[in-house]
Order: sequence, then C-alpha cells, then structure tokens
Amino acid sequence: MSPAPGSPQPAEPSHVLSVKGLSIAVHGRERSTTLVEDVSFSLAAGRTLCLVGESGCGKSLTSLAIMGLLASPPLAITQGEILFEGRDVRGLDPRERADLRGDRMTMIFQEPMTSLNPAFTIGDQIAEVVTRHRDVTPEQASGVALEMLKKVRIPAPEKRLGEFPHQLSGGMRQRIMIAMALANAPRLLIADEPTTALDVTIQAQILSLVRQLQRETGSAMLLITHDLGVVAEVADDVAVMYAGRVVERAPVDKIFDDPQHPYTIGLMGSLPSLTGRDERLATIPGSVPAPERMPKGCRFAPRCPFRIEACDAAPPPLIEVAAGHEAACIRAPLELHVTEAA
Amino acid sequence: MLSFIGRRILIAIPTIILVSIFVFTLQKLLPGDPILVLAGEERDPAVIELLREKYRLNDPLPLQYLAWAGQALQGNLGMSLRTGVPVLQLIKDKLPVTLQLAAMAMSFALLIGIPAGVMAAVRKGSAWDYGATALALWGLSIPNFFLGILLIFLISVQLNWLPASGYVPPSESLSQNLKTMIMPAFVLGNALAASMMRHTRSAMLGVLKQDYVRTARAKGLLEPRVILKHALRNALIPVVTIGTLLFGELLAGAVLTEQIFTIPGFGKLIVDAVFNRDYAVVQGVVLCTAIGYIGLNLLADVLYVVLNPRLRAR
Repeated sequence: MSPAPGSPQPAEPSHVLSVKGLSIAVHGRERSTTLVEDVSFSLAAGRTLCLVGESGCGKSLTSLAIMGLLASPPLAITQGEILFEGRDVRGLDPRERADLRGDRMTMIFQEPMTSLNPAFTIGDQIAEVVTRHRDVTPEQASGVALEMLKKVRIPAPEKRLGEFPHQLSGGMRQRIMIAMALANAPRLLIADEPTTALDVTIQAQILSLVRQLQRETGSAMLLITHDLGVVAEVADDVAVMYAGRVVERAPVDKIFDDPQHPYTIGLMGSLPSLTGRDERLATIPGSVPAPERMPKGCRFAPRCPFRIEACDAAPPPLIEVAAGHEAACIRAPLELHVTEAA
Repeated sequence: MLSFIGRRILIAIPTIILVSIFVFTLQKLLPGDPILVLAGEERDPAVIELLREKYRLNDPLPLQYLAWAGQALQGNLGMSLRTGVPVLQLIKDKLPVTLQLAAMAMSFALLIGIPAGVMAAVRKGSAWDYGATALALWGLSIPNFFLGILLIFLISVQLNWLPASGYVPPSESLSQNLKTMIMPAFVLGNALAASMMRHTRSAMLGVLKQDYVRTARAKGLLEPRVILKHALRNALIPVVTIGTLLFGELLAGAVLTEQIFTIPGFGKLIVDAVFNRDYAVVQGVVLCTAIGYIGLNLLADVLYVVLNPRLRAR
C-alpha cells in the first residue's frame, strides 16, 4: 500500500493543489475496501486539469476528498496528503476546513436539478456563500449575488434573485451553481461532471462560461469528466484514472496524440471521430474489476492486449515516458510491442 | 393561493353537511330516552307526551333534522336537555379549557419531538438514536389513562409536587392554572411527541441525503446551519402538515385525559352529555368537533402549500 517509488512529485510553490499518494477506503462492518489508491497530481494557478475515467473509477471520490466532503463514515482517507496552497488540509480542524470551502476552494456538482435548495430563493442561496466568508451586509451580499447572476449571463437577473430553483431550467440552475462557486473568486474550482446532466446544446455554453470565468478569476480548475470531447476542449493537463488509480498523466495534446497506457489508448479508440470511417467504435474487452477483487498487479492487466507475466506481479509505478508524460505501464512505450499484440 | 383556499372551503361544505346528518342520526340510535331522564322519578305519561311535543320528538326524523340544522345555522344549537343552558354557551365555556390543554400538549410534543427527531437523524445509529427511538416506542405504546394514573400516583400522591386533579381558570391564577394543566398536557402530548419525533427523524434522514445539503456544506456553512436551515426547513414541510392533523386527534384524546384529571373541558362535556342522553349537547359538541377537524385539514393543506415554494406559485 506504500506509495510507489517516484510517484509523489516535489511540491512546487506555484501549485494551488498537490495531491500526493491519496488513498480512500470504505469501511464496512467486516472489512475495508480501498476505492482510490495512491493518487497523485498537482495543479497550478490558472491551469485546468481534467481527471478522466469511467464511472466508479474514483474520480468523484477524489474530488470530494479534496473538498473535505467525503461521507465519513463509511468513507475515509487512509493515506496521502492534500496540499492546498502549500499546506496539508488533512491537518486542519473541521472549522478551518469549512472556512476554505466555498471561499478558497469551491465545487460545482453534476446534478443541477437537485443541487439547489428548493426552499430558498436564488438570491438568498448565492448571497449566503458571500456572507459566510466575507464581512458584508446583507445588502452588499445580494449586490454580489446580482453581479454574479449577470456574470453567468442569466436573463433578467433582478427578477431571478427572488425566484425559487424550481422556476429555472437545468442549464439555468447550473449557471446559478457556477455563480455560487465563483462568488468569492476561489483559488481552486472543482467541477464534477458539470455538463453531464445537461442537454448537448447547453453543455457547450456552460463549458465555455466556466472556462471564461475561470480565466477572469485566475482560478485553477479540476474538471472531473468521462467525456473526452470536454477534455479536448478545456484541459491543459490530463490525469487518466482506472479502477481507483492514476494510470497516465500528461499535457492534453500528448494524451490525444501519443497515449502511452493501454487503457488510455482504449479510451481513445472508443471516441467517435468526425474524420473517422464507417467502422464500429472500438471497445475495451472485459469490465472493471470489483474493488474487493482487485488484481494484485496492474489493475488493467486482465483486459490488456499487451499483458505479460510481470504485469501481474506488482502494481506498476508511474514511469516518465517523455518529459511531463507519465504512464503506469511496465511495457511503455508500447510501440515496441504492437506487432506481438496484434 | 386565494382561489386554492376558496376551493378547499367549498369542498368542506358538503362534508360538514354529511357529518351533521351522520351525527344527528347516529345519536338517535343510542339506547336510552332523554325524556325519561327529564320526566323524573314519577314518569307521568302526560308529562312525557308534553315533553315530546315540546322538543318535537314526535316529528319524523328528517323534519327533526331540518329544524335542528336550520337553528344551528343561526348559531342556535338548542338547550341542554338537562340543565337548560344553551349548548353554544356550554361550548364557549368548555372549549377554551380543552384548547389550552391541547395547545400545551402540542407545544410539548413539538419541543420534545422535533429536536429529538433531528438529533436521532443526525446521529443515526448512535446511542442517542436508539434511545430516542426506544423512548418513542414507549410513548406510542403506553395508554393515556395508565400514564395519567401513574403520574398522579408518583407526582401527586408520593411526591406531592402537583395537584392530582381539579382546574383553575387562568383568569383566576395563571400559576395555579399551569400547575393543574402541566401533568394532563404531558400525558396528552406524550404519544404525539413520540409520533413527531419519528416523523421528524425519517423526514430528516431523507433530506440529509439530498444533493442540496452537500451543496450547503460545499459553501463552507457550518454543520448547525446546514442542519437547522437547509435540512430542517425542508424536513419540516411534511412534519408541520402531519402535526396539524394530529392536533385534531389531540382534541379527541383529550376526552380520556380530562376524565382522569377531572378537567371541565370539551371532552368531559361530551362524555357527561352522552351519559345523560343530552342529545342537543352531543349534537352540538360533535358538530363543533367535526368542523374543527375539517378546519384543521384545511389548515394542513394551506400550510403545505405555503411552506412548499414549488406548490406556491400555482
């Protein structure tokens, strides 16, 4: 369970967020199951890191752990550090942790339809996050709320302040969530699949809005997604997760142009392309192993066309295959083995 | 909103008419004859006949009903066959006593039930949760009369802290009034507190899982505010509605409690009236109770809409 050698990166002062060797487990009655293991990545101010992977790979858990919102018990961080602006937030008491949330680090969730409280007005809910963290009068707070509604381009913002969530569409509600998340100009914005629940036409609008406001505030953004189209659009860097581990980490162009982990390659293969031919979308054979039945070695090995005996021996560490490009595969670079696998 | 209330009131009218017919016929089926009670020991047939004429008891039932209902609409519920006091006057005298008892029982239920329910939900699975749930089970299971007698025995007879029975109007002495009312209110509110606790607990458990509670935490709000503002505000919607309906049941439950503590309230009025075959009083009291019940239902509907912004706009 100890972090694989070479896995933690040295903390650079410019990093808003550094996650090092993070492991999260669910504690059951009889035993504990590790859901996220030895996850490391870092994120500099103004940059966007996309955490990519299919549902259940631990990306949402990782983001909730950073926010300090893990449902604990039964979930708990078992190992690792979460350095936010240079200090480990795990050492903070609950009060200090809450002081950060909504102010220095904020979060947008996947489900805009249920993420707003149905009993309170839009204005009240945005103003609340302002009064919580800043020394302002209620009037000033609702002034900020109005300003934020304008920023997220809600039509007739004055009128919206007094409306309830049920009076707004999903896209509008997600804009409200964005307004709430950015009201205090956070250093870190975590967006957990912010567009998944929305109509396709709205998705692009919301994405570009988040992107633009992020640039204005200079926040770092951790975007959780399983949508590679979204990744291509907004990411600076990408971390690919599979079965609770980071399997590849690279700048976005490297991920698309030169993916090194067989799982990433598989993901790319299942991406529909406009230039593509009429062939069927490639799929990865098999399915993700259940958390309590994880292979001892590489977790992708049972599905991997490049598997060799050594793959099952121990979990592969992240290996630097090129500058700033790491893959957790002992067979990387894979070009060497393409013929044998085919 | 106003049209909603208006519609509800219109629906209530036929219900009240049906209830009045039901009440009228039902008590005609009661065994016993009030005239025999009135006629005294000798039961002179001439006197009996005269009394029957006087109270129109020889008319066909529908006519008797119409005569009664017509008068009732004008606020005249007749006279008590036994004492000659107008029924409306009796109700005016006795109702405030029961309302005070019910209100105290209700406050008690709310003050105990809601905080206990919130705590049980927030600390689900803890000793507190099990304790509160066990206490609620006890509260729901123990019969009013038994708890009443138990308390009288312990607190009045053994410890001599509170009077066992009797009633002092608040206008006479508020402190004496509270001393006589607090034990009956506890007995009456006991089961209600248990029921409120369980409703609050289950509503809170549902609400605490909602995404907007997570949002409230993501905003950096501290736990008391997350629970008391964001969660409780939503959990209270069903609880308030149920509480309003249960208030009606309190009025019914008061019958027994008032008997045990000999409080001259509505419940005692109705029991005495039934025992004495005092038709007019029974009719008046039951009608009044039914209207109160329907009114509470109406209030519950309205409160549900008022508390729930999603319904308010329509």
